[in-house]
Amino acid sequence: MSNQFSRRSVLGKIGATLAGLIAAPAAKAAKTVVQKEFVTSGAPKGYDPTQHKWRMAIDANRCIGCGLCAEACKTENHVPAGPYFRTWIERYIITKPKAGSGEARGEVFVDCPDGGMHGFPEPPVPKEEIQHSFFVPKLCNLCEHSPCTQVCPVGATFDAPDGAVLIDPTYCIGCGFCIQACPYGCRFLSPITKTAEKCTLCYHRITRGLKPACVEVCPTQARIFGDLKHPVPDDPLQQFYQNNLVLALKPHLGTEPRVFYAGIDKEVR
Amino acid sequence: MRRFIQMPPQLFRIFLLAVGIVTVYLIARYFLTPASFGQYGWYRGEALAELAARQPIYAGKKACEECHSDEYQKLIKHEHKTLSCEGCHGPGQAHADNPRKDNIAKSSFAACLRCHEANPSRPKFLKQISVKTHYTGSKCTECHVPHMPLEVP
Repeated sequence: MSNQFSRRSVLGKIGATLAGLIAAPAAKAAKTVVQKEFVTSGAPKGYDPTQHKWRMAIDANRCIGCGLCAEACKTENHVPAGPYFRTWIERYIITKPKAGSGEARGEVFVDCPDGGMHGFPEPPVPKEEIQHSFFVPKLCNLCEHSPCTQVCPVGATFDAPDGAVLIDPTYCIGCGFCIQACPYGCRFLSPITKTAEKCTLCYHRITRGLKPACVEVCPTQARIFGDLKHPVPDDPLQQFYQNNLVLALKPHLGTEPRVFYAGIDKEVR
Repeated sequence: MRRFIQMPPQLFRIFLLAVGIVTVYLIARYFLTPASFGQYGWYRGEALAELAARQPIYAGKKACEECHSDEYQKLIKHEHKTLSCEGCHGPGQAHADNPRKDNIAKSSFAACLRCHEANPSRPKFLKQISVKTHYTGSKCTECHVPHMPLEVP
């Protein structure tokens, strides 16, 4: 180690430091150029997602199956025509049991013609044979432990800090893992963009202070939307939590849905 | 140091290759990771702003009130107070931006029946009719005022 401070080594070190000093800003400048070209895009700012906690709730007692929500969602979000829905309505019909059959309930019929967008036809069983019948609006359950975000191989889908589960369409490769992972069937592969799509809670609306389109058009307030961090006077969401015993769909899966339902039956999944 | 460099050449080449691969990876990561990655979590923070950038199509009840406050006041004081304007009249952002008569739909017969046609699955609180037996005329508005459903025209 006698040559530790030889002329060559000292000059080498000085050279390397100088090169580093020149290279660091050059690399930074080059990085911004590369990012401008390939990575970023100029999107507006001004909304802080950490300051909100959006929640949706469904009061199935009040749903009349008009289908306005499903239709408004399609229009608002440019959802492709055909069997693609970000929200839809299901009709459940539970028949009376056959006399003396020893059963509590008869058969269960579930249908959803065209997402319920254009209403529902006459029930498949006569009115007298129906024990219970009701409508259930469905949408992304905005799970706390969302299986869809866990399986995404490219990290394109994520849990935003304000409670929405979103997809970054520029990163989605359209592999469809998330569609299989979602136990509620809330995602689909868009035939137009070839990327996965789902309910965004109308992210472009809620960030502007509007309600999601489905909540806006619902005539009976079966859909309830609010911000847990900024409750308004007579907050409909707080009232919903106070006045109802609520259920989540498929609680045994441990997904911890943030969408709560009131007035649904055990047959609803 | 010298002893380390004097490791068997076949191992030294593999070591160099590994260092090269890691260096290329680090350089690529430095340049290609989006600036907003990790802003909120393990994803591109800017994606939120991009998703929020789209323009709404439904304007919301407040936008309607700005010009049509007379009809709005009628609506919110009567039975149909929970209804949205755009449920019956269709999406209205285009009309709110540029109010003209031809860019907003006139509500019709179908809008009434959409909710009020009888269906056994509908909850009991909702007033339901069977259109075949209820009235054979052509317009609901002959007997009902949509903005004030319990009033007589």
